[in-house]
Amino acid sequence: MTRYLQIWLASARYSIVRTMMFRFDFFLWAMVELFWMSVNLLMIGVIYTQTKSIAGWSMYEMLLLVGTSLLVQRFLMGFFWSSIFEMGRNIRSGYFDFFLAQPGNILFMATTRKLDPDGLVNSFVAMGVVAYAAHKLGLHPSALDLVLYALMILCGLVIHYSMLVISVSLAFWITSAQGVEGIYFTLTEFSRLPREAFRGLASLAFVWLLPVVVVSNAPAQTILHGFQPIWALALVGAAALWFSAALVVFHLGLRRYNSASS
Amino acid sequence: MNKYFHAFLLGLQSNLVYRWNFAVRGFFSMFHLTVVFILWGAAYTGNHSIGGFSFAQTLTYFLVMLVMQFFVGAFNEDYQISEEIRNGLINQFLLKPINYFLYRFSIFIAARLVTGLLILIPLAITIPLLRDYLTLPTEMWRIPLGLVAMAQSALIQFSIAYCFGMLTFWFLEIQGFVILSMAVESILGGQMFPLDLLPAGVFRVAQFLPFYYQTYFPVAIFTGRISASGAIAQGLVIQLFWVVTLLTVNQVLWTRGLRRHTAVGG
Repeated sequence: MTRYLQIWLASARYSIVRTMMFRFDFFLWAMVELFWMSVNLLMIGVIYTQTKSIAGWSMYEMLLLVGTSLLVQRFLMGFFWSSIFEMGRNIRSGYFDFFLAQPGNILFMATTRKLDPDGLVNSFVAMGVVAYAAHKLGLHPSALDLVLYALMILCGLVIHYSMLVISVSLAFWITSAQGVEGIYFTLTEFSRLPREAFRGLASLAFVWLLPVVVVSNAPAQTILHGFQPIWALALVGAAALWFSAALVVFHLGLRRYNSASS
Repeated sequence: MNKYFHAFLLGLQSNLVYRWNFAVRGFFSMFHLTVVFILWGAAYTGNHSIGGFSFAQTLTYFLVMLVMQFFVGAFNEDYQISEEIRNGLINQFLLKPINYFLYRFSIFIAARLVTGLLILIPLAITIPLLRDYLTLPTEMWRIPLGLVAMAQSALIQFSIAYCFGMLTFWFLEIQGFVILSMAVESILGGQMFPLDLLPAGVFRVAQFLPFYYQTYFPVAIFTGRISASGAIAQGLVIQLFWVVTLLTVNQVLWTRGLRRHTAVGG
C-alpha cells in the first residue's frame, strides 16, 4: 500500500512539474472547465426565471445538487481522466505494452499516471457552489453530515471511475471505436437531475441500473435533509458493485489484448 | 468544379467507413434528448407554458436542433484541418490548383450527408415514442426560409471550425480553444435552453452575435419560435453578414498563416 502511495506521489509530482512548465495550457484548460461548469449553472438560473420548482426542488436546492454533481466530476477529471483517456488510445495503438511491463497492478498504473491540476482547481469552484447554495438555503450541516457528505462523494468518485474504466475497456474488443469515453459524459448528464424527476422506466434505468442519479442525489440529500441510511446503503452498494464490474471487464479485456506494436 | 465533386465523393466514402461511430453517437444523442425530456418535463409540471411556449413546443425545439446539428454542425472539422497543418499534409494542396477551403467544405458536406442520414435511424425509433409530445407549426413558408437559414448556418459553423483549424499555424494545440468556444456556442447558440428565455436585453445582444445564427435562428424558424416576417428578414440579413465576415476572416487567416508555415519533409 505504501509503495503504491509512493508511486502515486511520484506521478503527481511529475504532473505538477509538467503543468508548471506549460502554464498557459493550465490556465486555458482551467478556463475550459470553468466555462462548462458555468454553462450548467447558467442553464439552471435561466430555467428558474420561468418556474419556481423542478420536481419539488427549489433553485438553491438544485444548485446544491448540480454543484455536487460537478464536484464528483471535477475530482474524476483531476485525478483520473487523462490517464483513462490515454488508456483507450494506448489499447488501440498498442502502446499499452508499456503498462504491462511495469512492476505493479496494471489498472492502478494505467489509471493514475497523470494528474490534472486544472480539474482539481475547479473542484474548489464546485465546492464554492455547494457552500453558496447551502448558505442561501440557511443550512448548517453538522460536522458528521459533512464527513458523510465527503464519504459519499468518494463513493460517487468510485462509481464514476468504474463507469469510465468500463467504457474505455470496450477498446479491448472494438479497437476501431473512437470516442467511447463520450458515453460517460452522456450518462453524467443524468446526475444533474433530481431523483424525483425520474418516473417509470427512466427511474429503473438511471436511478437503479446505472446509479448516475444516486451519485449526486445521495450526498446532496445528506446536506439538505440530514443522513438517510437508505441513500448511503444504495451508494456504497453501487460503488462496490460497479468497482467489481470494472475490475472484471478490465481483466477480461486484458486477456484479449494483443500488442499492436512491432 | 469537377475536382470538388471528387473531393465530395472521397468524403462520402471515408465517412461511410466510420458509419458505426456516427450511429453510436446518434444513439447516445437520444440519451441527451431523454435528459431534456426529464428536466423540462419536471420544469413544466404545474406550468402550462414557459416563455409563452408549451412543453411540446420546447421539446420539438430541442429535437429539431439535435437533428439539424447532424445535418449542418461542424463536429471535428477543426481537428482534421489542424492535423493536416501539423502533419504537413497541407503541403500537397499548396502545389495543386485546388482551393483548400472549398476542398474541406466539399468533404464537410459529404460528412454531414452521412451523419444526417444516419441520425434518421434512431429518430425513426424515437419519434413514435414522443409523438404526443411533439408539435410543429403548419405554415409552409417556414420550410424554404428555414432551409436558407440552415444553409447559412452550415457555412457559419464550418467557417468557425475552419478558423480554429487555421489557429494551428500559430498554436500547436487548438483543442482547448475549441472546447472553450463550444461552451460559449452551447449557451449563445441556444443548445442548452431556448434563447428567448434569456432576459430581453441579453437576448437582444445575442441576436447580433454569430452564435445565435449557428443553431438557434434556423431552429426557431422551423419550430415557430420566430414568426414575424420582419424579424426573420432582419435575421437572414444579419446571418448573411456573419457568413461574409467569417469567410473573409478565413481567407485572412489562411494567407497570414501560410506566411508562417514551414513545409518540412517530402
